[in-house]
Amino acid sequence: MAVTERPSQLTEPSNPIVSRLRAVVLSKEGILFLIMIAAMFILSLLTDKFLTTNNLLNQLRLVTEIGLMALPMTFIIITGGIDLSVGSIFGLSAIVMGFLWQDSGWPLELAIIMCMVVGTMAGFMNGLFIVRVGVPPLIMTLATLALYRGMALGVSEARSARGFPDWFFDLGQRQFLGIPSQLWILLIAAIIAGIVLARTPFGRGIYAMGNNELGARFSGIPVRLYKLAIYTFSGFMAGLAGYIFTSRISTTRADMGTGLELDVIAAVVLGGTSINGGSGSIVGTMIGLVLIQLLKNGLLLGGVKGDATIVIIGAILILAILINNLVQRRAGGD
Amino acid sequence: MGAILELENISKQFPGVKALDDVRFDMTAGEVHALLGENGAGKSTLIKIISGVYKPDGGTIRLDGETVLFNTPREAQQRGIATIYQELSLYPELTVAENIFMGHAPRRKLGPIEVLDWGAANRRAQEILASLNIHDLDVTRKIGTLTVGNRQRVEIAKALSLNARILIMDEPTAALTEADVERLFNIVRLLRERGVGIIYISHRLHEVFELADRVTVLRDGQYVGTKPVSETSEDDLVSMMVGRTIDNLFPKLQTEVGKPVLEIRSLWRKPLTRGVSFQLRAGEIVGLAGLVGSGRSEVAQVIFGINPAESGEILIDGRPVMIKHPGQAMNHGIAYVPEDRGTQGLVRQMRIRENISLSVLKAIRSGLFINRKQEYSLATGMIKQLNIRAYSTEQVVNKLSGGNQQKVVVSKWLASKPRILIMDEPTRGIDVGAKAEIHRLMSELAREGLAVLMISSELPEILGMSDRILVMRGGQVVAEFPRQEATQERIAAAMMSETAGNGAPKSETMMIGESETA
Repeated sequence: MAVTERPSQLTEPSNPIVSRLRAVVLSKEGILFLIMIAAMFILSLLTDKFLTTNNLLNQLRLVTEIGLMALPMTFIIITGGIDLSVGSIFGLSAIVMGFLWQDSGWPLELAIIMCMVVGTMAGFMNGLFIVRVGVPPLIMTLATLALYRGMALGVSEARSARGFPDWFFDLGQRQFLGIPSQLWILLIAAIIAGIVLARTPFGRGIYAMGNNELGARFSGIPVRLYKLAIYTFSGFMAGLAGYIFTSRISTTRADMGTGLELDVIAAVVLGGTSINGGSGSIVGTMIGLVLIQLLKNGLLLGGVKGDATIVIIGAILILAILINNLVQRRAGGD
Repeated sequence: MGAILELENISKQFPGVKALDDVRFDMTAGEVHALLGENGAGKSTLIKIISGVYKPDGGTIRLDGETVLFNTPREAQQRGIATIYQELSLYPELTVAENIFMGHAPRRKLGPIEVLDWGAANRRAQEILASLNIHDLDVTRKIGTLTVGNRQRVEIAKALSLNARILIMDEPTAALTEADVERLFNIVRLLRERGVGIIYISHRLHEVFELADRVTVLRDGQYVGTKPVSETSEDDLVSMMVGRTIDNLFPKLQTEVGKPVLEIRSLWRKPLTRGVSFQLRAGEIVGLAGLVGSGRSEVAQVIFGINPAESGEILIDGRPVMIKHPGQAMNHGIAYVPEDRGTQGLVRQMRIRENISLSVLKAIRSGLFINRKQEYSLATGMIKQLNIRAYSTEQVVNKLSGGNQQKVVVSKWLASKPRILIMDEPTRGIDVGAKAEIHRLMSELAREGLAVLMISSELPEILGMSDRILVMRGGQVVAEFPRQEATQERIAAAMMSETAGNGAPKSETMMIGESETA
């Protein structure tokens, strides 16, 4: 693939496989993965309840909702945007689903579909204002963070919806082929999102926009359409996550998902996506997601007190980002 | 009277460009000294050196015979040098008096502490304005509520509050109405009587003759000459500004001009596209000349759909088409190599391969995915064809030189296989070799039947490359010359003078222009 006629200014390692491997290990994702393995090793020394298949699968079940929302969030942050309203959309969609079924007597199947429709619409509204009116994403989604939460509270009037039929819990509480059911959805969604981002013209456009939006526009990338698409996608995923969450915990309340946007953003940013836009990957986001959850769980099982856990997690996150920056600067020092 | 300011052998180098080379300049007290030159001649660099923004690489600056070196604009200010830039630097949320005395307000004792004395500031501001014969300006009004003309007066008052003895004015009339221009001239004359030296930059030659005592001309960063205004003429100044020989850098090939491919009819997009019409034929290179701000790039961006037209028609092969965004323009075979390669032309943090394929991502798909193989071979082919000096398709564009970056932009648009190629300042800021290569390429493309519209601020480039030359001023095409009839003087005259000089003005567009400005 290299253009061989030109004099090489880099000292290329002789073995292409070794160099390829080196590139993978030294990538942001590679370093993060190593940090995760190290953390898992240390945590497994603290307690033997941590490193069991059951515990690990259960932890992954718990992060599925955050993971689903982190996928579009990765796209959005790569373009240099942000979506702070996902927690509120999550709450609003779930509460609408619950009350359409419980109060308005809609069939539950239809209510589930409406859950995702509401989420999609909420995301579309975000995108529309960002694209058409030119409101900065931070401001727009900060406003809808409050607006959508307020709507959820208005719909619920401080009640909760509960008493769903048994089949409703299949997705949130049961297993499929030995793996928590919702994990399949996350897995498939992550693979699709990863491929779309890395391999399609759309994904390339997302990176180009994040690095230089004007340049992307001058190259004929439909910048506004792409933005509308990712914020709408974000709303859809928040709706889907709201449904899965309700199925997992059996009830829905208007305040659920409060503050969830920060967990989503933390996973994305820890995963190596630049908050300034332009770089990042789905693989990174997924590792970031799992790393945070495993730390929480492992420290808890290891008997570390709640307050101390948060401090330790915070410290480790900062450390991980520092290590990565250091390595990237070394590696990209040419 | 002796010189209050003298510059000798001033040189300034920027990466890849020699902005000033052995330039001199001097002025006496009470003189209006005009500074003339084409875009990029080095005027801005020179005034930035005088006002302490840049430090010269070589040469000496003497103020009242004493050699000085300013490290910051503030030091120059303290020595009495004030600058009024094109974009005024006032605080819109503060009042007139607060702006005038920003950083040096009068103080008074309030017990043991010293506080700013705004009462005194208001009185002094009033006095300064009155000394400029300005009596209709309330010093407690916020700047944001004032007209451009009034803001400029505040800038001048601010300079005087600093006891400026040398006042630099960079295109002060560019944004003013006729009445404001007249008032400005009166103020300038008043200041001259009071012994202030004024360096006056303008593209409007008649202003120079009306106002200035002497004029210094720069060209390509070099000193051309200084003359008393009484001993020169417009033609003389124009030829001093543009008088370069057209060298052999432009191997223009003879082409067969075919059918019209692009035609635009009375295209409007305010503020800088005001009823533009022209045709572009296959195999033809049309040069679009004009000063900065004449609306050249704006027209190109209307055609390319960056800022779609408000009214008017765009015809491709004689059929009217709708162009609302760049994607549509590209579907019609239009490509646009923009003026600013850093912000518009490239995504510099990305690789060469990714930049070249950016305009054709949809075309090099297999199924839903970008075909990597095709992408590599496209990039490799372009690197070879345009002789881009890079060690791999995977090199980040940021690390390339200006000329090679420009070639990447051109590659990107050639990859889209256009029929109409608009090149906006295609060789700005790149070295001579790369420049010649781009010219050769442009010429070859025209011979293969492309229609090329080339926007350039360099008259030799326009003259060397174009089959036909259009001149824009104030958002309109004001003159058109066939290759044989074009000279630097005629084009420059059409670009600058209000009467379109001895060019061949297009009568209908001139009429629109006059009714618009009336």
